[in-house]
Amino acid sequence: MDQVAIPPGHDVAEHRHEEPRTGTGVSNTKLAMWLFLSSDCLFFGAFISAYLFYRGRPQPGPHPADVYNIPFTSVTSFILLMSSLTMVLALAAIIRGDYRRLRIWLLATALFGATFIGGQIFEFTEFYRQGLTLDKNLFGSSFFVLTGLHGAHVTAGIIWLLSLWGLATQGRLTSRDSERVEIAGLYWHFVDVVWIVIFTVVYLIPK
Amino acid sequence: MADEATPVGTATETEAQESARPAPEEELPGTELERSEAAAPAPAAAQVPMLPGEVRPHPSPQRYVMIAAILVVATAAEVGLYYLEGEIPDGLIIVLLLMFAVIKFTLVASWYMHLRTDKPIFRRFFVIGIIAAISLYLIVLTTLHVFSR
Repeated sequence: MDQVAIPPGHDVAEHRHEEPRTGTGVSNTKLAMWLFLSSDCLFFGAFISAYLFYRGRPQPGPHPADVYNIPFTSVTSFILLMSSLTMVLALAAIIRGDYRRLRIWLLATALFGATFIGGQIFEFTEFYRQGLTLDKNLFGSSFFVLTGLHGAHVTAGIIWLLSLWGLATQGRLTSRDSERVEIAGLYWHFVDVVWIVIFTVVYLIPK
Repeated sequence: MADEATPVGTATETEAQESARPAPEEELPGTELERSEAAAPAPAAAQVPMLPGEVRPHPSPQRYVMIAAILVVATAAEVGLYYLEGEIPDGLIIVLLLMFAVIKFTLVASWYMHLRTDKPIFRRFFVIGIIAAISLYLIVLTTLHVFSR
């Protein structure tokens, strides 16, 4: 497998990462993040199940087919997917000690995330104009709660990324802190995989 | 300064390295830049140490881009399937859409979240969460006759 190389001129000692001395032999922070993500699967599972439960039940309109704009949502999904790429490139950059690229990729990830949220706000506004509100019908309630909670997760991720970017611009994020970028990346990729499921189950699967 | 690190082998960087090094007793032939490049280790030889919790090194950025290309193609295929509704059986569309979603989910989790290269304990925690969620909600939805409507 290809491996990441230290560029000439970078101090190898700066890239050295010591194994954590914990009871489990792995970083407690990383383990805690994975536990959180594991529990978040159940959290999102509950809202996806609620959507599936209410979907297709007789109810007053508007119905999904009346409001969905698949080409638009496909573009925002593509943007979120690309943000996962920039996030992982930011991690690769900090591991190499390439702080200029780290700043670029962190900011790009936050901007992609913000574009996705902008698209979601636009979509919600359009749905509202077409008469679909949170309390209009069961579809509206389950759709807005599910996608809105996902949007809240993305927003939290953007704030996290911007704070890392701020630290990076001040030179307070070095190769020794690469785990901090990795943990933020885990959260960001999780938000992406949840959207992969939501996009398929909520938007694409035929009614 | 560590913060202003620049990419591989720029003149400024190699000159700075050269000036930090003690002066050689005998001057070697070639320009200063050529000598510093010759003295620098080959990039492939100096591998970045693994991050805590990793059992294998991270993939290269090129590999990440390749995974992104696969994700884009899979998403395009999904959207294409959506527009085939009515032309092929709904059951087939659902199976294919779920298959693409599983492929995308697995690619992101294993390559971008580094479950392939990290210690198995992380994978176990995540897989347990996913299996618990899928099992629990499948039981609930089946009990509520969602799939038999």
